[in-house]
Amino acid sequence: MSDIVLLVLAGIFLPLFPMSMVFNAVIDKTSNALMRSVIFVVWPLCGVVLVSNLTMAQPIWLLPLVLFTSTLYAVRILTLRDVTQWTGFLATSLWALLWIPVMHETSAEMLYGYAVSMALPLMLLVTLSAGLEKRFGAAYTDLYGGLARTIPRFSGVLVVVIVAAVATPVFPTFFILFDIIVETIATEPAISTVLLFNWLLWSWAGARLVQGLIVGRASQVKILDMAKPTVALYAITLIALAAGGIYMGAEIL
Amino acid sequence: MERLIITVAVLPLISALFIQLFAGQFGRSIVKVSVAVTTIGFLLSIVTLALALTGSSPEAMSLAGDKGIILFDPLGTLLAAIIMGISLIVHLYSVRYMAEEAAYGQFFVLLDLMTAALLFMVVAGDLITLVISWYLVGVLLYFLLGQDTRSQIAYRFAFWTLITYRIGDLPLILAAALLFNAYDTWSLTTIFAEISANPYAHQVFGLPLTEVVAVLVGLAAFARSAQFLLHTWLPYTMDGPTPVSALMHAGIVNAGGFLINRFAPVFIHSGDVLNWIFIVGLITAVFGSLLMLTQNDIKKALGYSTMGQMGFMIMECGIGAFSLAIYHMFAHGVFKGTMFLSAGSVINDARHDDGVPKDELYTFAVEKQPNQARQPWLLMAAITLIVPLVILVLAHLLIAEDYFQKQGAVVLLFFGWVTGAQLIFATYRMRSQNIWRLVGLSVLSLVVVVLGYVFISHAFDLFLYPDEAFRAQLYAAASFDLLRFDVLVVMTTLIIVLGWLMTYYSEQNGVRRAQRSKRLWLNFYALISREFYVSDIYTRLSRTILALSGRLNVWLRWL
Repeated sequence: MSDIVLLVLAGIFLPLFPMSMVFNAVIDKTSNALMRSVIFVVWPLCGVVLVSNLTMAQPIWLLPLVLFTSTLYAVRILTLRDVTQWTGFLATSLWALLWIPVMHETSAEMLYGYAVSMALPLMLLVTLSAGLEKRFGAAYTDLYGGLARTIPRFSGVLVVVIVAAVATPVFPTFFILFDIIVETIATEPAISTVLLFNWLLWSWAGARLVQGLIVGRASQVKILDMAKPTVALYAITLIALAAGGIYMGAEIL
Repeated sequence: MERLIITVAVLPLISALFIQLFAGQFGRSIVKVSVAVTTIGFLLSIVTLALALTGSSPEAMSLAGDKGIILFDPLGTLLAAIIMGISLIVHLYSVRYMAEEAAYGQFFVLLDLMTAALLFMVVAGDLITLVISWYLVGVLLYFLLGQDTRSQIAYRFAFWTLITYRIGDLPLILAAALLFNAYDTWSLTTIFAEISANPYAHQVFGLPLTEVVAVLVGLAAFARSAQFLLHTWLPYTMDGPTPVSALMHAGIVNAGGFLINRFAPVFIHSGDVLNWIFIVGLITAVFGSLLMLTQNDIKKALGYSTMGQMGFMIMECGIGAFSLAIYHMFAHGVFKGTMFLSAGSVINDARHDDGVPKDELYTFAVEKQPNQARQPWLLMAAITLIVPLVILVLAHLLIAEDYFQKQGAVVLLFFGWVTGAQLIFATYRMRSQNIWRLVGLSVLSLVVVVLGYVFISHAFDLFLYPDEAFRAQLYAAASFDLLRFDVLVVMTTLIIVLGWLMTYYSEQNGVRRAQRSKRLWLNFYALISREFYVSDIYTRLSRTILALSGRLNVWLRWL
């Protein structure tokens, strides 16, 4: 396979605009919740496999395109109301940045670690989005609200997962972004500046998502909350993710 | 000893985990665990502080090489004790105050996590721990302020806090990355030692690294301590629970002063950065106080009062009085915490009786009736100007004879003098049976305040920065160019004297003045009542970004 084709394919799986639209279209068209979750983990891994096989020198336009894609989706995410779509856009904005470690010749093992660590909170979020669709018929912000009172256990898990997804310490994405900043600040300050700006936008978008879902008065209709064993499962996953983040931070920083 | 401070920092984490896990089994009484653990933590922090006071040398304990370092130094131990003290009071208060809340247990979990984050922040001995805890304080505060999940307003302003804090996180992350790149270690102690040995060894973007880092740390501190243009969140976050307001105004908002103190060895070699910090602090103090005076909502007035105080605290750092900023932080914390926590009782009492005695203070302050039969103005002017100056000079001479060689000390004396003069000036205008008794009491209270302030701040100086040479370096680093300093002092004096003259003039010619300058006055009032349009500008900016986001999504068909 020629390097150009490989680069285009890699641009689909580690999304670069406009190839990034493929990923978001796939997410949009996939109605099966389990399949969506699987896609969220497998997609960036495919991207890492592809970039690992790239032999050509990286084109000069690649870095600007990476930063543009990440910023474009970070801005666009602010006005999304559909939770699955929101997760897809956040994934696009985050995964595009994986090109930066690629350019700095980070080992493939490390890249797999980065891709999985970034994908896991997003995967949890699409699973929760499916939970909302099941309960309310749609996973939309500002549609029903008040989840903190209506389904408190579900809301608690949802909030922590959103917090993990938007690169909050001590989850792995925080350390990955911190590492990219450390690597680039002295030689390519533009990368760090754009990354920090996008980080701010993700936090803004995360807060809008939280507010659009959990804030408000409780629903008058009785809605089934998340079962306690499921909460425990999510909690264990999140704790493992945080522990993995701390371990990763100790290793890469 | 370092194990003691780790125990203090870890205890709230254990409490939070315990409450989260067993709230279902033990019900609401489980919050007693949180209170008990905080009490133990407070006692241990006092023991640690006592050890530090008795001369135990600073130590560090590392959990993973140059990361996860817990530092046992005077600044960390002192602030840990203060945090635990305030946290304990807030815990005790919240047990009953929050009892009706649906998420009662969750509130204590968040409170414990916040206490832990603050503790880790002040005892952090490496940049990673510092950045993480600094970041988490903002996130936890967001959820504490949004404790009432039914309130959209509470969340709206909690978001303002979050986004401002996130803006403040970014420069700190950049500073940490730059320092690591230059010194190849995360350990603050090692970095500071290397900076002291060779301050200008590294350049970045064509500037000395220390200057760039000082600017970034300063920006981080400005966002956290609500300096002008990054202040809008502070007066509007009153919809959060009262204990959270107390914790925020008494502790969290002071973190800017802590951060500047933590990076004191960097600021020594930071060129003019401290001068700029002084100017930002000065602007914040003036604007905060101005906005406080014009609020008709008492909660917002309290918020702006905190902003003014934070400006003053940052200003103290800007003149090199680093330890004084910590003392200010402590004193303001106790004062503002008390005000917030007693607010409910005061409102309740005021419903039955306003409690305001109809004495001379009432007629002066509330009914705005100044004394018509006054003492000779020359005599009173002399007392107004000379007495505070004499008190301040004598008090400072007791501390150190060379005190007046430091520009920072002169600035503080200047502010002390203006404040003292203002107090006596106000007394002179009051209606009183015995004006001399009133003046005497005012002077006595001024003496007590000045002596307390001078001696306690001196004690803080000796404890936090025992090395006299280091203290001298801090003052030297904050020195202004003599010409600029003189211009600043003369300008400030002129503004204050002009203010006094205007007050006098307006009293003499009140009606005519009102007719002539009514339009100007109304414009000025509109400007202040809209809080200089800062919030409006931010709101417009955020709406523009959201509109752009929406348009992009439409153009790109939501893919």
